[in-house]
Amino acid sequence: MERQPKLTDLNTALSLAQDALAERPDLCLGGLFKQSRPIALVRGLLAAGVSNLNLFSSPGAGYDVDLMIAAGAIKEVFIPGVTFENRLCSNFRTAVETQKVRAHALDALTIIGGLMAAANGVPFQPIAALRGSDVIKHNPLLSEFDCPVTGQRLHAVSALSPRVAFLHAQEADRWGNIRHLSTMVYADQLMARAAQTVIVSVDRIVEDEVILNDARSVTIPAYYVDAVVQVPYGAHPTASFPFYAMDEAHIDAYADLGDAARRGNADGLDAYLKRHITAPDDQEAYVETVGGSNHMQRLEQEARDI
Amino acid sequence: MSLDYSPFEQMTVVLARDLADGELGAAGAGAMIPMAAISLARVCHAPNIQVGGEMFFNPYPKQLFPSMLDDRALGRCEASETFIELFGHSHHGLDFFFHSGLQHDRFGNINLHHVGGTLHAPKMRGPGAANLSYCHTSKRFYICPTSHTRRNFVEKVDFITIPGHLDGPESKNVAGLTQEGPRLVVTPRAVFDFDPDTLFMRLLSVHCGNSIEDVLDNTGFMPLVPDLVPETKPPTGEELSLLREKIDPTGELRN
Repeated sequence: MERQPKLTDLNTALSLAQDALAERPDLCLGGLFKQSRPIALVRGLLAAGVSNLNLFSSPGAGYDVDLMIAAGAIKEVFIPGVTFENRLCSNFRTAVETQKVRAHALDALTIIGGLMAAANGVPFQPIAALRGSDVIKHNPLLSEFDCPVTGQRLHAVSALSPRVAFLHAQEADRWGNIRHLSTMVYADQLMARAAQTVIVSVDRIVEDEVILNDARSVTIPAYYVDAVVQVPYGAHPTASFPFYAMDEAHIDAYADLGDAARRGNADGLDAYLKRHITAPDDQEAYVETVGGSNHMQRLEQEARDI
Repeated sequence: MSLDYSPFEQMTVVLARDLADGELGAAGAGAMIPMAAISLARVCHAPNIQVGGEMFFNPYPKQLFPSMLDDRALGRCEASETFIELFGHSHHGLDFFFHSGLQHDRFGNINLHHVGGTLHAPKMRGPGAANLSYCHTSKRFYICPTSHTRRNFVEKVDFITIPGHLDGPESKNVAGLTQEGPRLVVTPRAVFDFDPDTLFMRLLSVHCGNSIEDVLDNTGFMPLVPDLVPETKPPTGEELSLLREKIDPTGELRN
C-alpha cells in the first residue's frame, strides 16, 4: 500500500467540510483580522449555499465574518472583536441589531483557553484574569469554580472543539505538513489541534525535500491536517505575508457597500456577492474579478516592501 | 487659530512622556496613536522600552498604520509569538496598555459592545473587544479616543466592556481590580486624570486652541475641574521632529 497524500482539490475539500458541518455547524477560521484568513475556502462554502453556521475565529475578525453574514450563512457569532480595524462592519452590526444573528460577548482568553483545553484533551482551562467586565456576565462559555489549589474563585472555559477549522498558510507539502512564513502564526496551531476536521489552503505546495530539510519550520504537522488545498492568493483580499499584502482598497470598497446596505440600499452588496462569490468558477476566475494578475503583483510588491 | 502640530500629535507626545524606560507594553488593534507614542518614547527617552505582549517583540515599522497587529504594520520585529503566549501575558500583565471605545464615562469605564437596547437586541451594535485582561492585569492603562464629544463621553456607559474604576474605590475593591486601572484620558481636546479619593475624572490640562468651556461643552458629564487648569504642554521642537522624521514620515497623525 502507498501513503495517501492529503493534497486535494478545492471541491473535494469543500464537500468534506459541508458533510462535517451538516453534523455540527461549528466552523472556526484561522488567521487574524486582515491576515491569513482562509477566504477562498469561505467563498467556496458560501457559493454552496451553507446556512445556520456558528462562527468561531481567533479573537479578531472582520471581512470574512461580515461577508458570511451578508451571504446569509451565519446564525451565531462567537468572536470577541468584529471590526475592519479602521472602520466598523456594517452587515454584522445590522444583523445583530435586527436580531437575525446572535453575537455573543466573549474575550480572547475564552476562545484561546477553550481551544487550549480541547487541544490538550482536558474538559476545561482555568482563567484567573477576568474581572470587572460585563462580558463575563454574558459569556456563554464560562462558569465559575473554586480553585482546588489556592481556593481562589476562578473561571473555567469549556473545551472548544470546532467541527471544522479552515486555515490559510503559505506553504505545505502534499502530505499536509504546513509552513507559515508570516511573522505571526496567530491561533492556527491551536485550532489545528482543537478542531475535529482541519482543512488548510496554501498559496503553494512545495517538494517533500523542502520540508525534510527544515522540519523545525513546519508549524502544523500533517498529523493534525485532514486536507490541504493549493489555492494561489487563497487569502485575498486579506494578506498572506510574506507573499502578498492585504487588499485595503478592495476591503474598503466592500465596507462601503455594507454601509450603503445599512442605509437601505443593498444593490451594490448583492452585486458584489454575485460577482465574487457565485459567478467565478474557480480561483483563477476569482482573481480576474478582483483585478487580475497585474493587481496581484502590486499586492506582492507591497508585501516585499515591508 | 491654527497650530503647527495636529491634535493627534499632541495626544501622542502626552502619552509618550508618561511611558518610562525599561517598561513592557503594547497597543493592539486600531491603535495608531498608542503605537506612535510607544515609538516616540523609545527614540526620545526610553530606549529600553519593550513592545511586547501582542504576539511580537520590538517592531520597527516604516510608517504608522491603523492597526499594529499585522506584518505590514510591524515592519521588522525582533521576535514573534502566538496566541498561546497571549494567554500568559494576559495573566501576568504588562506595565501599560491602551484602550478606547464607543462610550467612556466619568470613572473611565469603556463600552465597545452596544449603545441602547440590550446585548442581544441592541439599538446600535459595536465591535466588541478581544483583550479584556490587560486593563486590570497591567499596572495601568491609558484611554485615548480619537474624538471627544457628548456622544462618546457619557454619564454612564450602557455596557462595561473594559472596566475602568467601575463606580469608584469600593466597587473596584469588590470586583478584585487591584491595579491602578486607567491613569490618563488623553483626547484631541484635553487631558484628564482621576481624583485619587473618588476616582472621578478630573480635568488635568487643556490643549492649546481649546478653552475649558469647549471641553465641558463636549463632555456628557461634569468632570472635576480644579481652580487652575493649565494648557497642555505642546510638543517640543525635538519631539515633533523625531515624530515626523522617524515615526510618522507619511503624516498619518496630521490627516
